[in-house]
Amino acid sequence: MKNKLFKLLALFALASMVLTACGGGAATAAAPAEKVKVVIFVGMGTGTDPDQVEAQNKLAEKYNSTHDNISIEFLIVPHEEYATRYLAMLSGGNAPQLVGPNGISSVAEFFDTWEDITPYITADKLDLSDFYGPAVELNTYPDKNTGLPLGLYPSYIYYNKDLFDAAGVDYPTHDFNDKSWTMDKLREDAMKLTLDKNGKNATDADFDPANIVQYGYDDSWDGMRGTLADWGAENVGRPTSADYKTAVADSPEWIQGLQWLSDGIWKDHFVGGLEVQTGRDSAGVDPFGPGTTAMFYSHTWFLGEGLHDLSFAADIAPFPYNPKGERIARIDADNFTIPKDAKNKQEAWEVMKWLTSPEIIVDVCRIYGCIPARKSVQATFLEQLKTDYPGIDYDVIFKSIDYLDKPNNEEWIPEWGKIEDALNNGLSLVYSGEEKDAKKVLTDSNAEVQKILDEYWATHK
Amino acid sequence: MSSLPGTHRLSLARREALWAYAFIAPWTIGFIIFTVGPMLASLFFSFTDYNIIDAPRWIGLTNYINLFHDDLFWHSLGITFKFAAIALPLGLVFSYLIAVLLNSKISGINIWRTVYFLPSVIAGVAVALLWGRIFDPKFGILNPLLEKIGIEGPGWLSDPHWAISALVIMSLWGVGGNVIIYLAGLQGVPTDLYDAAKVDGATAWQRFRYVTLPMTTPVIFYNLVLGLIGTFQYFTEVYVLTNGTGNPARSTLFYNLYLYQNAFKYFHMGYASTMAWVLFIIVLGLTLLIFRSSDTWVFYEGQLRGK
Repeated sequence: MKNKLFKLLALFALASMVLTACGGGAATAAAPAEKVKVVIFVGMGTGTDPDQVEAQNKLAEKYNSTHDNISIEFLIVPHEEYATRYLAMLSGGNAPQLVGPNGISSVAEFFDTWEDITPYITADKLDLSDFYGPAVELNTYPDKNTGLPLGLYPSYIYYNKDLFDAAGVDYPTHDFNDKSWTMDKLREDAMKLTLDKNGKNATDADFDPANIVQYGYDDSWDGMRGTLADWGAENVGRPTSADYKTAVADSPEWIQGLQWLSDGIWKDHFVGGLEVQTGRDSAGVDPFGPGTTAMFYSHTWFLGEGLHDLSFAADIAPFPYNPKGERIARIDADNFTIPKDAKNKQEAWEVMKWLTSPEIIVDVCRIYGCIPARKSVQATFLEQLKTDYPGIDYDVIFKSIDYLDKPNNEEWIPEWGKIEDALNNGLSLVYSGEEKDAKKVLTDSNAEVQKILDEYWATHK
Repeated sequence: MSSLPGTHRLSLARREALWAYAFIAPWTIGFIIFTVGPMLASLFFSFTDYNIIDAPRWIGLTNYINLFHDDLFWHSLGITFKFAAIALPLGLVFSYLIAVLLNSKISGINIWRTVYFLPSVIAGVAVALLWGRIFDPKFGILNPLLEKIGIEGPGWLSDPHWAISALVIMSLWGVGGNVIIYLAGLQGVPTDLYDAAKVDGATAWQRFRYVTLPMTTPVIFYNLVLGLIGTFQYFTEVYVLTNGTGNPARSTLFYNLYLYQNAFKYFHMGYASTMAWVLFIIVLGLTLLIFRSSDTWVFYEGQLRGK
């Protein structure tokens, strides 16, 4: 009896497996009109918030209902898992067809994995003149074009008007030609806006730096390259020479910029140190939202993340002139890329064109919070901005594009991740107070970067 | 037992062996595919320059040689040893003491046992997020408590000199697993030994020192070996708390975090595989040392010393 029962169970299991296998095949064969699927890997940058996921699904429905040959599917990956998941897909021979939205940093991080889209642009005779020039440049490298521009994220100062009013400090100028708006002026204002628990500001002799309740300025969401890109060094946001063989992270401008920050934290007290940052991180709040930071230097993507439901009035102002009398305002940019090992690359290219087309780019950028990289839709986008973020100076957003950092603070360099970590370790020394001398920090960081470059070039021709 | 098809002519022992193999086959196949396979693959990769994207290129012992010239390798190894040297003995003693307390005959003991075991079932990520909040100097609960007894709390996770201490404290919270094992060991100590000791006039301390402690050395040994391996695999909490950076100032750059960075951030998968094998050899060596030393301090009931 037991023997029969066992055989029956074995037969049942075998039959189930066969039927399951056949079922899968039958389902494939019955797929309507053999649409080619383009999987869009989302998670390297923005796009994983629940409302964004919903909006992307609607976008997919829109595409799939209007296209006969191709279907799209957004694959949402938690941001903290993007590297392992993407690399697992690549090494498993299952590369997604499109990846994005990618910042310049994630393009750099996986630079060798991207397809050069130049042949596709040439074959389609695609006119790129409608894209902002800088947006195209940010995707163009000596040996490849990584993707069509989707959006730009210029940077500027977000400021809390209520705190300025309470301190009796004039708002930062919105006039891009006002040369009095310098890093020194920012420091001066920020100190007046920094308060201890007794209400004394950082310029008062009896100010208590151990009990600060309000800071004047914050730029803690960027790494060393982004923090120092605006200070006017010859290589702007790149810590190497143009041939990537010599480390130049100890340039006088970078040292000046880092010392300004170090003094801002430890001497003038208008910037919060690492303790303040970890406190915010553990509480899950951004530097601006709680209303205890008067000026926060960030990008357009912060509009979507941080400018909702504020309990105070806010506006935006240009980033100041650096000590060399130049204005540089670092920029971020997004695109979609095609992994070179992906299947159906032609279809991926078609979807990339659609996502960045004048007809749809505003919708896509509203999901991700970027400025559409096409000039022709600026007016339409402006109307959306007025609806979504009323009362801010939109001119600041568009004008800031002209002052982008070039070479960009996120762009590819050899051993990108390793050099980023080496530099950011230096920044962490300053923020933690472990080392307050910028020259010492950058001299050491530069030596480490040079060592990494030397090791790289020893094995790469 | 029923026969497998075509096995009627086999001897009973042979048939039983076949059945045994059939039953362990799912696990064996899984072990070969998901453990032995990746181990062998990583051994091969450790001799290659492999960036995941391109095919691996054989470079012989280069990764192993480079490893010994890598300052961060030594730095991360030092941090891991430092953490192990503090967290492991502290964890063993702390969990043993709790287990002794939980072995008391007091009312509501099952509730206390549950309370102490509960944290160990919480996922590492959740633990890290929770303790990140507790350690916060301004909004956390630890520093205000310290302030009440006149101690000015440090910046914990933002201070390079205190970050490891913070992680050690955090690790003590998850000793529930050890406690349960110790508790089982304590309850397995024959009561007649205590009775005999009492008859001989042994004090409570003497009963603990000369009965409880020797009789529970097998579980101490077990927890020591597993604790050692676990400590050298420390990763999740520090990855979550530092966003994978090992900061502040690389003070929490544990060996496994540096290994992870090499594999998935710098795409030096060959180098990371080398690191994995070096770690394996280190842990294996330390484990063998503990096994060798166990002859002198682990007592098994029914075992004659030296046999």
